[in-house]
Amino acid sequence: MIVNSLAPQPMPGAAASTVDLTKVYGSGETRVTALDGVSIAFREGEFTAIMGPSGCGKSTLMHCAAGLDTPTSGSVRIGTTELGGLDDRQLTQLRRDRIGFVFQAFNLLPTLTALENITLPLSLAGRRPDPQWVERVVSMVGLSERLGHRPAELSGGQQQRVAVARALVARPAIVFGDEPTGNLDSRAGAEVLGFLRGCVEELGQTVVMVTHDPVAAGYADRVVFLADGRLVDEMAHPSPDRVLDVMKSFAG
Amino acid sequence: MLTTALRNVLAHKARSLMTVLAVCLGVALVSGTLVFADSSAAAHRAAASRSFADLAVSVTPAYSRSAPDQPDVLTDDLVQRIGNVPGVAAVLPSAEGSAVLNAADGKPLRVQQGRNQAAGYVPQRHPLVEGRAPAAEGEIAVDRGTAAAGGLRLGDTVTLATDGPAMTARLVGIVTTQDTRVTSGGTLTVLDRATAQRLFAAPGHYTSIDVSAAPGVGEHELAQRITDMLPADRAEVTTGQAMADQQAIYVGTLTRGYQKLPMVFAGVSLFIGSFLVLNTFAMLVTRRTREIALLRAVGATRRQVVRSLLLEALLIGLAASAAGFVLGLGVASVLPDLLSDAGNELPDGPLVIGARSVAAALFVGVGVTVLAAWLPSRRAARIAPIEALRSAAHPAARPRLRAAAGIGLLALGVGLLVSLAGSAEDASEENLRSAMLGCGILVLALIVLAPLLVRPVIRLTGRLTRRFGVTGVLAQQNALRDPRRTAATATTLLLSTALVGGLATIGTSTGQALDRQAADGLAADHVISTGSTMTGIDPAVVQRVAATPGVRGASAIADSVAVIGGKVREISGVDPAGISQAVKLDFVSGSLQDLGPGRIAVSSSVAAETGTSTGRSVNLRIGSSESFAPYTVVGVYRDNPAARDVLGARDEVQRHSYKPGSVQRILVSGDGVSENALRTAVGNNPLLKVQDRAALVREAAGTMSELLTLMYGLLAIGVVIAALGIVNTLAMSVTERTREIGALRALGMDRAGVRRMIRLEAVTVAAFGTLLGLAGGLFGAWAVGALTGGAMKQYTLVLPWGTLALLCLSSLATGAIAAAVPARRAAALSPLEAVAEG
Ligand SMILES: Nc1ncnc2c1ncn2[C@@H]1O[C@H](COP(=O)(O)OP(=O)(O)OP(=O)(O)O)[C@@H](O)[C@H]1O
Ligand SMILES: [Mg+2]
Repeated sequence: MIVNSLAPQPMPGAAASTVDLTKVYGSGETRVTALDGVSIAFREGEFTAIMGPSGCGKSTLMHCAAGLDTPTSGSVRIGTTELGGLDDRQLTQLRRDRIGFVFQAFNLLPTLTALENITLPLSLAGRRPDPQWVERVVSMVGLSERLGHRPAELSGGQQQRVAVARALVARPAIVFGDEPTGNLDSRAGAEVLGFLRGCVEELGQTVVMVTHDPVAAGYADRVVFLADGRLVDEMAHPSPDRVLDVMKSFAG
Repeated sequence: MLTTALRNVLAHKARSLMTVLAVCLGVALVSGTLVFADSSAAAHRAAASRSFADLAVSVTPAYSRSAPDQPDVLTDDLVQRIGNVPGVAAVLPSAEGSAVLNAADGKPLRVQQGRNQAAGYVPQRHPLVEGRAPAAEGEIAVDRGTAAAGGLRLGDTVTLATDGPAMTARLVGIVTTQDTRVTSGGTLTVLDRATAQRLFAAPGHYTSIDVSAAPGVGEHELAQRITDMLPADRAEVTTGQAMADQQAIYVGTLTRGYQKLPMVFAGVSLFIGSFLVLNTFAMLVTRRTREIALLRAVGATRRQVVRSLLLEALLIGLAASAAGFVLGLGVASVLPDLLSDAGNELPDGPLVIGARSVAAALFVGVGVTVLAAWLPSRRAARIAPIEALRSAAHPAARPRLRAAAGIGLLALGVGLLVSLAGSAEDASEENLRSAMLGCGILVLALIVLAPLLVRPVIRLTGRLTRRFGVTGVLAQQNALRDPRRTAATATTLLLSTALVGGLATIGTSTGQALDRQAADGLAADHVISTGSTMTGIDPAVVQRVAATPGVRGASAIADSVAVIGGKVREISGVDPAGISQAVKLDFVSGSLQDLGPGRIAVSSSVAAETGTSTGRSVNLRIGSSESFAPYTVVGVYRDNPAARDVLGARDEVQRHSYKPGSVQRILVSGDGVSENALRTAVGNNPLLKVQDRAALVREAAGTMSELLTLMYGLLAIGVVIAALGIVNTLAMSVTERTREIGALRALGMDRAGVRRMIRLEAVTVAAFGTLLGLAGGLFGAWAVGALTGGAMKQYTLVLPWGTLALLCLSSLATGAIAAAVPARRAAALSPLEAVAEG
């Protein structure tokens, strides 16, 4: 099933897009085609959830789209920038300035305080943080009281909110999250999701998130479904129940 | 268990390699030095037996105490008679002694006691390579090495002296020689036979008769036959073998001194290296905490845990020993080149690998590694099974205990040194030993306290690293993360910096004090000396010097040795009036006024060591006199190199001197007297040294150059081992932090940033070690210097800024350079490591 809205050409207004993206791991007997000609666009200001069974290539798609991994073939664009032609330094710069990333395992720097962690992308870029913006991001994640704490002194939910704030602080064109709530209980997960939703709404932030949780997917504007490295379905304005139905159909 | 240990060693090749390298450096120095010693001893023996190859028996005059003045019996007549003894193949009489000569530039050439040989020409002994043999008085030949070193050419007029006035002769030939005393940096002067006889024996007499044996006749048999025909007590017989042995021993002692320096280096490098081993195993235990706990949980005993680690250490030690030994062979083959200078060649020979060298390499390599691994293995044994379940391994640290122990040691060391500095009057052996002990304790205290000092010190250096932005902050934080590891890594640099910094400071301060002492103590402007108590200056020369234009005073001094308080000291026989103008004597008590027969003055060190003082009487034996006699001490003066240890009346010293009636030094005062005028006044005699004050100061400072070699050698060793340690620690840290580095890459740190971060961390660790080491070294230098100051009033603490700056720079550079490989590895990590499982 080919979904019409997934145009093969980069479209104006897309924060990121892929065309015929293929990723093959290994060779010979151990050869795995993780992505098989995926073409997808993430529109500006839209909150997209990616779903699919384990091993279907969700993480791989996200890594390639975020410039963390290089595709075997096909192209990836952030805005209008084609990633294929960039060297490591340019790619690094692009990640620093235009992409935010929220890891499942938080990946905060244990030696830095919450505030230092949040402003890390700016420090790395040698940019002076805009205090008002930092203030806004920090108050949005509700961490004003805990900025001087080290990650080890924060709860899992708080750590993940620091990670989200870190992903937003450089005003990236797009924020990727690979199961950002995977390590959190439902309450902490809801905090983080609510916060991401808020960003989309208030700041017009583009967000792409991988999740296994239909409830989490319910926060998104759109859900795309991946199976065996291919896009198989998509749903606008998802609700947890409808998402669950689609997922059941895969299982059946 | 052996296979597990082996697998562990092999699985972490890089880390094992660093450890092996650190230990093998020390092993290489130890075994290299031993192999070098064995080889050079063998080479000396070979060279000596080569030069005595065809010599079966040597006949020399016997020294008879009862009739010392009787002429010896080694005449042509005796030569004839020995030739008739059955079994004698050939007889070779020779007249040998010593002679020094001037180089082409008029300066004495290679003057070295016992190595300036002279001989009457013997065709078999002195094969000509150029020119012809000396045939009459006024003609000489020299060996090739001497000619080259002195720039002497055939036809040149050469000034030489045996033990008296200078003579001149024309160089008519160049010969070769196998005499190791000459080839190891001496000179050989070949004279015509008659002149040699006249100079070294008596006309028609020889100093030795060498005999070679007919085939089938043994040395000892021949020796017996010749002994039987010699007049009793007038001549003695030595076999060729015995002579070769003797000479080998003699030259061997000359080279034995060469082993000291490499051995010191070996000791230091092993000591420093052991900390690297310790640190490696400590990191290993931390990393394997989980694994070890798991082993314990499934029933491994503590003993088994310890044993498996020690076994791993044993394997690494064995590898280090083997590698070190091979490297040691390299060291042994380059040592001769390093140790011999232009003219001072050590004999060539194959490398001799003795059992001793192999055993030492094994013992040292394995011993140091296993010992150093022992402490961390104890810690491993304390790991509780429950720690397998904890997420992050945080080995229990006991900072209180450490602080208490460290501060206790520090107080002890500092207390000892400060009290010593306050109370000690002189640099007596006992005080020096206490000072060494104090320094040792101080260093130990620093090592124990280092982990606690990491935080405050690195906060301080962090002010600088922070300038590099967030990379600097991260680097600083990483160095702070495991203070114990940072401290242990820095320990190698701490030790080498403390050693080198302390030595450099003491050396410079002492050197300058010696300079000042040499300059302060002497009022005279030039010193003419024989440099030996066995040779003397002609009275006529003293007159000529005194008559040289510009000379205001020429004070002649008779130098000899005296036994006082069970030790051999240098005594100077002076004329009280003349000496006070030439030497600035600073009397603690008494004066020179009453100096005369039966009276002496002593230096303050001698007074302190023999427990005597002005007015007391001491027993003394001067020079060749046979018995002790009581002398009254009329004064005690501050140590002064120009006045030696003891001052006596000149006549008295001259009477007992080895060359009765001679003087050995002339102190010349007078402005604008040129060295050349004085050289001319002494007849250009190569036996006599003419030095101005600057040259004397330089001579005193000459002893410092050895210290310099020592220092830079230690610095090099410290830097190399420290670099290995830093590589090791950083490699481990990078492995542990792949996830974090991946995240940084994902968040936008570029490769250069990662590299800079690792490098800054290394420099921070290096700076920590350097700062602590400098503090310890300088404090130690101050304390030890205070001791020296008691004995030398010219001593003040001088900081060798240049050397210290070089030291700091090289330490920091070590950090930066050592970080290169781990930094490259860290920079190559993909941002995907951040999301990698595990
Ligand atoms: N580095 C790799 N080397 C080889 N195969 C890989 C690698 N990474 C992923 N794969 C394979 O690629 C396929 C897609 O993996 P991916 O991690 O993208 O799945 P996913 O959809 O994120 O699964 P999950 O929901 O379990 O996280 C899997 O079959 C996986 O085994
Ligand atoms: Mg995944």
